[in-house]
Amino acid sequence: MIRLTVNGQAHELDVPSYRTLLDCLRYDLGLTGSKEGCGVGVCGACTVLLDGKMISSCIALAVFADGREVTTVEGLAEDERLHPVQQAFMDAGGFQCGICTPGQVVAAKALLDAIPHPSEAEIKEWMLGNLCRCTGYYKIVESIQAAAGQARA
Amino acid sequence: MRYEAPESVQGAVALLAAANGDARVLAGGTDLLVQMRADVVEPELIVDIKRIRETRAVTQENGGWRIGAAVTGAELKEHAPLKQAWPGVVEAANLIGSTQVQGRATLGGNLCNGSPAADSVPALIAAGAVAKLAGPHGQRDLPVEDVMLGPRTLALRPGEFVVSFLLPPRPPRSADAYLRFIPRTEMDIAVVGAGVSIAVDGAGTITAARVSLGAVAPRVLLVAEAAQAIIGSRLDDAAQERLAAAARAACRPIDDKRGTTEFRVDVAGVLARRAALIAMDRARTR
Amino acid sequence: MADAVATTQELRIVGQPIQRHDARDKVAAAMAYAGDFALPGMLHAFVLRSPYPSARIVKLDTQRAAAMPGVAVVLTARDVPKNTLSTDVPGQTTTVGPLRATLHVLAEDRVRHQGEPVALIAAETLEQARAATEAVDVEYAPLPSVFTTADALAPGAPAVHESGNLLAQWRIARGDVAAGFARAAVVVEGEYVTQFVDAAYLEPESGVAWIDSDGVITIRLSTQVIEHFRDVAEVLNVPQNRVRVIGTYLGGGFGGKEDVTVEVYLGLLALKTGRPVKMVWTRQESLLARAKRHPYRLKYRTGALATGEIVAQEIDLLADSGAYAYLSALVLLYSTVTAAGPYRAPNVSVVARVAYTNNPPTSAMRGFGAMQTVFGYESQMDRVARALGIDPVRVRAVNTLRRGDSLPVGQVMETHVAIPELARRAWAALGTPAAPRAPHVKVGRGLACNLQPYGRIVWLHDWSSAWIGFEMDGSLVVRCGAPDVGGGQASSLCQIASEVLGVPLDRIVVHVSDSALTPLSGTTTASRQLYMSGNAVLKAARELRAQLLTVAARLLDTDAEKLEMIDGAVHAPDARTLSLRSLLVECARASVPRSHLGVYHAPAGEPVDLNAGAGKVFPDYTFGAHAAEVEVDTETGEVRVLKYAAAHDVGRAINPQSVEGQIQGGAVQGLGYGLMEDVVVEDGINLTTSFATYLIPTAADVPDVEAIVVESGEGLGPFNARGIGEPPIGPPAAAVANAIEDATGARMTRLPITAERVARALGLVTE
Repeated sequence: MIRLTVNGQAHELDVPSYRTLLDCLRYDLGLTGSKEGCGVGVCGACTVLLDGKMISSCIALAVFADGREVTTVEGLAEDERLHPVQQAFMDAGGFQCGICTPGQVVAAKALLDAIPHPSEAEIKEWMLGNLCRCTGYYKIVESIQAAAGQARA
Repeated sequence: MRYEAPESVQGAVALLAAANGDARVLAGGTDLLVQMRADVVEPELIVDIKRIRETRAVTQENGGWRIGAAVTGAELKEHAPLKQAWPGVVEAANLIGSTQVQGRATLGGNLCNGSPAADSVPALIAAGAVAKLAGPHGQRDLPVEDVMLGPRTLALRPGEFVVSFLLPPRPPRSADAYLRFIPRTEMDIAVVGAGVSIAVDGAGTITAARVSLGAVAPRVLLVAEAAQAIIGSRLDDAAQERLAAAARAACRPIDDKRGTTEFRVDVAGVLARRAALIAMDRARTR
Repeated sequence: MADAVATTQELRIVGQPIQRHDARDKVAAAMAYAGDFALPGMLHAFVLRSPYPSARIVKLDTQRAAAMPGVAVVLTARDVPKNTLSTDVPGQTTTVGPLRATLHVLAEDRVRHQGEPVALIAAETLEQARAATEAVDVEYAPLPSVFTTADALAPGAPAVHESGNLLAQWRIARGDVAAGFARAAVVVEGEYVTQFVDAAYLEPESGVAWIDSDGVITIRLSTQVIEHFRDVAEVLNVPQNRVRVIGTYLGGGFGGKEDVTVEVYLGLLALKTGRPVKMVWTRQESLLARAKRHPYRLKYRTGALATGEIVAQEIDLLADSGAYAYLSALVLLYSTVTAAGPYRAPNVSVVARVAYTNNPPTSAMRGFGAMQTVFGYESQMDRVARALGIDPVRVRAVNTLRRGDSLPVGQVMETHVAIPELARRAWAALGTPAAPRAPHVKVGRGLACNLQPYGRIVWLHDWSSAWIGFEMDGSLVVRCGAPDVGGGQASSLCQIASEVLGVPLDRIVVHVSDSALTPLSGTTTASRQLYMSGNAVLKAARELRAQLLTVAARLLDTDAEKLEMIDGAVHAPDARTLSLRSLLVECARASVPRSHLGVYHAPAGEPVDLNAGAGKVFPDYTFGAHAAEVEVDTETGEVRVLKYAAAHDVGRAINPQSVEGQIQGGAVQGLGYGLMEDVVVEDGINLTTSFATYLIPTAADVPDVEAIVVESGEGLGPFNARGIGEPPIGPPAAAVANAIEDATGARMTRLPITAERVARALGLVTE
């Protein structure tokens, strides 16, 4: 039995110890926003925040989250109001197919929490674990800069 | 599969010693989880050591630094005094994986995963780090270069695990550096890694050096000949050439799709030289 | 072909960087992708695949697996009603041409590549399905095998198929090649080798199937081709109208979801069990099982006059089809047609062959055979320029096809070929050259241009249809079978409808990709969807507009031609307006339909005889020019792209934001192809079945791609747009190779251009 808080809501779950946090979120809690893109922690589509720090939930066990707080992409918007990072991705077109976008926006939120005004190099360094096959990253970087209130250099 | 997260070194040792079947120590878990998902390992017991205080602390000890085995790369990066003292070690730890992984990947895990290409290991060896092991028969110290014997093969005895590392005191005018070579910019396994630690005297002559190479042999190498090649020099061109040649001579790499033997050998010389130049530059300005 | 009305009237919505209708769902993770969907009582399915690249199946016993806990069914070839799947030319076509490509849904007595499906398992949980897969008792006896095209075509080679290992060949001969070489001031020769690569979309193949009311087998999956419902019906041996495919918004396609993926398996399992079934491939399975891009060996011999004018080309192409045909013959046709690039080739011979091997099968991927050739012809172009001391922009301008010129295949260029302008602009965009940042670093620049067909081969008689209708409140519904692969296909259709009917975008809803409920529109492949379905929507919208305005003209007592539809109302020249709602009520009263089905037929033609050297193969082409500035580490061979500019003539940009996105994303995929991506296959075994080993570019690997959007106003699509889905992936590898030669003098001829290959070319590696 584990107790965890997901997007502000407390849960008690009986999960097998081998269950990944991603599977727990997607199948036990029905939060399908986090995606499995690689299963080995290199693509970032499953990025969630664990006590505010971003991790790849496909290579984390659900039991790691026992007693801790998880934030998924579903927890970023407040009611109808999108998180500023989500709004920026929308405005700047920082997505195409959208399958990596949940991971991108969670990682970008974590970046701006850690470094409110990142340089372009800092953005690329931080985001290198979030693969995107559609955009070539240009508009993703632009979206993050916009969310940080910066114009692209 | 059973998952345990003991809160003391003794608790962890007891669990490991009593385990039947495959028991695995988990720190960040970034390698272990990948192996479990690929069915490479199917442990019956996982002992998560993150709740043990000693594995999570960075403390000064006799002028050096003790780093817990479960301290993450991201935490090392935030530790300004440590970064000042051992920039190469901190840099190396922060080359392990993406930002998502750096928040979890640890020095202990990187070493005990048993890969000859582990990024932090050449940096630790160059630094002269000593691992503290705890086991059923008490604790012992082992230089990092003696912990790994070959791919996935460690010198740990049954029930033993790595609790922490001790980095020695830093003399004045000394510094380290780590460089690696990978096919992609980041998030990949080193084709070659080179760690160099150097101390110089007031005149800029190298008085002490350690050179370590990763991914060029079944285990991470401490290359004494490469260090000897530059001790007594100011790392002039000739010394650099001697260093590169000695580094290359020590390599016994595998040949695979990520890099042929000849290429790894060639790059090892280049990286050893470049890492030495960076370490030298840092050492001079202290 | 240029649409005078469309180009002269002022556009309000088309040409604007509007926010796509799917933006909010995607950033908020509210989009239910194929793998996010679930139904009560659903089974989970898994495929058992061959570990051998070539073997006879000597034993296949499913009894033990079928008895495992939770297992609902285990299927092998003998359980499949019709075990043959046609794999050529999917979509809305009536003619398939000379080739029939087939394979077995599940292997019968023999497997020809690693990963070939052998059995299907469905169980209550995925863990149970996987466990049962391991319990299938299967024994293989390895058979002789071939792993290179050269070996495959050698006399006495083991036959991958009984028909022999030469799957297809195309030949073009035009002019007098020998005489051309005799006139040449310089002759350059090159042999180029390209690799297997993977589409590597972030969403693996996935779907859910169930049996809906009236026994309709319904499959909701990520696909570029909903018309595969017909193939599923064939295999299941049920009428085609009993299978429905609902295509989800895709998590990327890039050609990898053009062939069937999970739909046949899901259909079979739903039919056999009567229960909903879900199948989601892991990344490992996707990398193992999906068809790859064809590796090519390209031989070029090029002769040019001192002016740079090319007077002779001799081209020999050899591609690896892997173990099955899939779309290989057509991929090869694209290569054959584009082999000489967007350049005049008065004397040219092209011989192109594709061979079976026991490697992973190869098929469609963004660029579709017109991509590998860019590496050949643009490397040659630079070599000619270098040999003659001519500027790279100039040598291309000298040779560019002009309107009225024809390709080696004999197809006449009917629209503007903007290569000189594109090359000039891309080159200029690099700005001031960067100074090398260290003594061991050299900096250089390279240029590469390309042409890429958009739309399908004319003898496929391609067509698309779309339905547009008003609701009584004046809101608009667009229905179109086009799958949205992520490029904003559906959103562009809304923009076109909005432009013509004056309905604000937030009053439009678009339904796409449902074989039962949306008019069929064909595949989202071949850079054809904006072109084809854009035209279908345009046609539907214009005809609907005409219908409505006839009624409005009567109400407003004026001529229909004088009326405009803007912002949900009809405007007369004297400023009187009529609300849409009133108009729609009047239409109902007058029995005038409020909807229209538009059908667009592409220009069609009969198959051309390539040997006879005359004829039209594709509707039209999109042209591009990319320029790269790279730095090369002369001690390690590492290459880093510092600056990158990509210019394409898109005819007209319907949504500039989407067009830029296509160009930037395509260029980065092309850089991945050029510099790092490599499906490593050793003796038929794929060694790169994880994203930890199959490397694609990260944010930290690539430069900012400056997208230069040129609008010539000439194209066959709506508002004179050209297709832009595939073209940007073509030039990067050649642009980078050319830049490396500029920096170091080393000519890279093998992809990917890894540091080790550069180091060897620079003589750094001692044996």
